[in-house]
Amino acid sequence: MRAYLALLRAGFRRQTSYRLALAAGLATNAFFGVVRTAVFYALYRERDQVAGLDVADALTYVWVLEGLFAVVWAPWFWELAEAIRSGEFVAELLRPGDPYLRLLVFDLGRTLSVLATRTVPTLTVASLLLPLRLPGTLGGLALLGASLVLAAVVSFQLRFLFGSAAFWTPDYRSLFMLVFPVLWLASGFVVPVDFFPAPLRALVDWSPLIPLLMAPVRVATGAAGVALATQVAWVATLLLAGRLVLALASRRLVIHGG
Amino acid sequence: MAEHARVYLRLAAASVRSTARRPAYLAARTVAAALIVAIEVAGVVLMLDRFGSIGGWRPPEVVLLFGLAFTAQGLALVFGDTLEADKMSELVRRGTFDQVLTRPASPLGWVVTSYVDTRFLGRMLAGAATVVWATDRAGVTWTPGRAGLAALAVACAAAIIFGVLLAAAGFTFVTVQASEAVNVFIYGGQYLASYPMQIYGSVLRFMFVWVVPLGLAIYVPALGVLGRQGPPGLPGWLAWLVAPVAGAFLALGGLAWRAGIRHYVGTGS
Repeated sequence: MRAYLALLRAGFRRQTSYRLALAAGLATNAFFGVVRTAVFYALYRERDQVAGLDVADALTYVWVLEGLFAVVWAPWFWELAEAIRSGEFVAELLRPGDPYLRLLVFDLGRTLSVLATRTVPTLTVASLLLPLRLPGTLGGLALLGASLVLAAVVSFQLRFLFGSAAFWTPDYRSLFMLVFPVLWLASGFVVPVDFFPAPLRALVDWSPLIPLLMAPVRVATGAAGVALATQVAWVATLLLAGRLVLALASRRLVIHGG
Repeated sequence: MAEHARVYLRLAAASVRSTARRPAYLAARTVAAALIVAIEVAGVVLMLDRFGSIGGWRPPEVVLLFGLAFTAQGLALVFGDTLEADKMSELVRRGTFDQVLTRPASPLGWVVTSYVDTRFLGRMLAGAATVVWATDRAGVTWTPGRAGLAALAVACAAAIIFGVLLAAAGFTFVTVQASEAVNVFIYGGQYLASYPMQIYGSVLRFMFVWVVPLGLAIYVPALGVLGRQGPPGLPGWLAWLVAPVAGAFLALGGLAWRAGIRHYVGTGS
């Protein structure tokens, strides 16, 4: 337990040391957020509610998206896959403790740093300047915090699965590039999934992409129960899937040495 | 100059051949670049159809802006991808740029032609397809004048994005470290110029019409293609200004690049 806590802290500190990247990232999020805000204000000029969302819901979506961007599409997306390809990953399997948990905890340390330095400041500033729909009670805010952390966990779990493709093929990046556009749309990063046609929306709502962005948005805008339950269910499912993949991969691991 | 052109063509051909050695990888990258445009447009259409209009523009009219902006961005990145901060920073840090400076070719010509990325052709072609689809849906009848305006928008917006890339690369010579802040203009600017300019507040509008004139280059010619009147302050006749303004912006980018090279001191490696 102490070892895992140390890993969590190490991950947190590692990510916090990139100051310049943090400033550039915050600026990028702020810019896209401002443009998206203008788009939604213009869209809602003549309408109060569309597909169950009003302008406050839409603006909350915008700023949760900007806050979570670097958590979901972490800049270190391919580190695991590269370690697998170079063979460094074998050291992971030799260390004491559970390899999956160790990776998860270290990654969570890094994403928690992003949550603290990007997500929370972005959401706080936006909520002071714009009519966002954020929980007004401490309990509600705690649920939102839990939902953001769960989004970070699912983000690691999915990245782990995509990265593990490197166990089977060195062409993992081409494969991912072809899938990425679909993930990008289905996770709600293009527009809220609420605007999809009903059959598509139903399909997407049952996918593991919902916990990444749409679930925290729903927790923020008031539909906390179902959204949080979905996130927890996916964390458990992806935990099993991740361990299964790791077990299969370890059995057929070939180290490309040099 | 003609002698130089031959050298650059051979460099470009060699860089394309080197990526074509892995045809599956090249195909995947190109298709993926086109897919991302298609998906982004599909998502926006789904949303706009729910609302019916934005700033008085119907969905296909907005999609025309998306198409023009993606085409221009793809065109600029086919040649300018290496100028992006992370890649430029690597050229400087590894000392590769020291060698570039000793070669009997212009550094810019070398950097641009040695790493042509055909992946962005996918983005460009998907953008062009989006333009065709959008104008068909918007009921635009193509005339030589309208086609000329669309070409003007693409060429000038691409020149502006290239100018931003040049200026950012010049900056990287000084800082060595890559700064992703330039993405605000390359990707954020494309996103902003994909919606009609009247929806933005005066600061954003001024910034993207007169400072980094991507809005001017995309929006004003699009008014002509659609046969629309511009909002107050952005009349359609401004189309005459698009080429000179884009040219001036590109020239400024070139100056920043040269100033950056003059300050280049290498990294000692």
